[in-house]
Amino acid sequence: MLMGALHDEGVELIFGYPGGAALHIYDAIFRQDKIDHILVRHEQGATHAADGYARATGKPGVVLVTSGPGATNAITGIATAFMDSIPMIVISGQVASHLIGTDAFQETDMIGISRPIVKHSYTVEDASEIPRIVKEAFHIATSGRPGPVVIDIPKDTTAPDNLYEYEYPKDVNIRSYNPPVEPDLEQIERAVEAIFEAEKPVIYAGGGAINSNASKELFELNEILNIPVTNTLMGLGVYPGTDPRFMGMLGMHGTYQANMAMHNADLIIAIGARFDDRITNTPKLFAPGAKIIHFDVDHSSVSKIIEANIAVFGQVKNSLKAIINSLNESKEDYDPKKIYSWRKQIAEWKTQHGLKHDLYLSEGDENQILPQQVVQHVYQITKGDAYVTSDVGQHQMFAAQYYHFDEPRKWINSGGLGTMGFGLPAAMGVKFAFPKDEVVCITGEGSIQMCIQELSTCLQYNLPIKIININNEALGMVKQWQDMNYSGRHSESTYQSSLPDFVKLTESYGHVGIKIEKNSDLKSGLEHAFSMKDKLVFVDVYVDPGEHVYPMLVAPNGSLKDMWLDKGKKA
Amino acid sequence: MQRKLSIILENKPGSLVRVVGLFHQRGYNIESLHVDPVTNLEKYRHIEDLLDIKLKENEVSHLSITTTVNDNLLRQILRQINKLIDVLLAVEEK
Repeated sequence: MLMGALHDEGVELIFGYPGGAALHIYDAIFRQDKIDHILVRHEQGATHAADGYARATGKPGVVLVTSGPGATNAITGIATAFMDSIPMIVISGQVASHLIGTDAFQETDMIGISRPIVKHSYTVEDASEIPRIVKEAFHIATSGRPGPVVIDIPKDTTAPDNLYEYEYPKDVNIRSYNPPVEPDLEQIERAVEAIFEAEKPVIYAGGGAINSNASKELFELNEILNIPVTNTLMGLGVYPGTDPRFMGMLGMHGTYQANMAMHNADLIIAIGARFDDRITNTPKLFAPGAKIIHFDVDHSSVSKIIEANIAVFGQVKNSLKAIINSLNESKEDYDPKKIYSWRKQIAEWKTQHGLKHDLYLSEGDENQILPQQVVQHVYQITKGDAYVTSDVGQHQMFAAQYYHFDEPRKWINSGGLGTMGFGLPAAMGVKFAFPKDEVVCITGEGSIQMCIQELSTCLQYNLPIKIININNEALGMVKQWQDMNYSGRHSESTYQSSLPDFVKLTESYGHVGIKIEKNSDLKSGLEHAFSMKDKLVFVDVYVDPGEHVYPMLVAPNGSLKDMWLDKGKKA
Repeated sequence: MQRKLSIILENKPGSLVRVVGLFHQRGYNIESLHVDPVTNLEKYRHIEDLLDIKLKENEVSHLSITTTVNDNLLRQILRQINKLIDVLLAVEEK
């Protein structure tokens, strides 16, 4: 019943881990050949892999776990997907209906535990409901603002001796769920007017624009407007990273020019972005002179933190199409010269304090390798065309700053929840979706150890991912904050000499490991790693442990123009 | 300022706790709460018209919650509640 419904929903791949309450389902998996099941080594890995698959393809990722510990191990991955609005279906086995509430073996209240971190959840009460529930779950997970949906299935409702007539519903109709699709054209006209009036406009696009597959429309819009663009961490790639109008990422570790442009703008066009605290810094001080146009599919994201002057509800893709149509009719009223001096100002900011690119490539052996260099070499070797997953910390920010994404869905990282351990399993999910494409996991020695067991899954399914471990022998971002805000007291952010030999570790899992410690070996070592097309290669690069990520917003009580640009140097 | 929220939700197991849980998740306080299945459909015809649906007896519940919040927060709470899949309508009762 369940497998039939999943197949009818178009599912090709499930990431999971078996256990008692899920055994009937696993037997059904064994007796069919339409859906592949990927056996991970930990349920958290299953959720992140399904998440990576969903981010890269736009299709929902599917996870299957057993009750109790299987379900609780999946929680971190569900929360990760929830915070970044990623469509995911998590099917959790549950103890048999008559045992629920009796503290049975491997019983846990999965619906209760997951409630705050799912878009919706279902308990199957009768096997005959499974097709409808699966249909609704996929509809909810993928429409409106996407998110994870949990289906909790008591063991007896999957018993093979209960036979039902199976029919997969063609349509889905949930009367209490009607997310907005098409924008209100009156709001579109108001937005156009505001754009025409603006002299210092900025486009600020986030993950919602990627979820809505709106990158083509966004580019088309800006071919008309020529406005400076910034992307959030989640939005990288939705607008081409190498386009001259692109200012780079904004926010906590955003570029100087992007943050200055946002702070000084007279119009902010927010597209599928939610004014999260990594972006606004102190909300009261955020962009004091700016009018806000906010395009979003989720009512509750608009005017939550920053009041919007014009709100356009609807699928962002449709809203952008509507505004393009409107602009096509009234383009002659638009004077691009009006923003020339604004663009010149932004170019000046970039010259003053923009990210330094060439500097890092010219270092000799007298200096330690800098983490930025590693990302730049990876960018050049992969020609900017790889899928890049990351974990969380300094390496994540360096990757976001120095790898320029020209396409959406190629930068895969945990932005909202900030989940260490995400990178490797997410890379597996991407590699399953796109086996011929280069998939790189840029990670750190802290994060990679949180889901390192998945190296075994990579061997089983022969996944030639490239893992670039930016090894600074410390929890770098924690250490950076301790350096800056706690007088350099490194409380529990270093491991003394307890790090594993990552080369041997990788080899014991049947893969290739490379260690790089010198600048002169960096380029050749990385090139060698990427030349091994059919091998998973773990490149352990020892970098300068003292390096910090800059710019960095001054917090608390700072605005977007208040940045640390270097050690001891404030803007 | 004390506000009274009027919420119509599906009368299904788990619906109520999603609304109540939301208050705690988002840091709002519930001062009083009352819930009943809807039997007198006459009073709810406007919801049928608004959502273009037909209600049956006991199919939905009417939940009243009082809480103390300012205007901005009230708007945010109502949007969050309306986003819940099992909620048909959440409004401020005047």
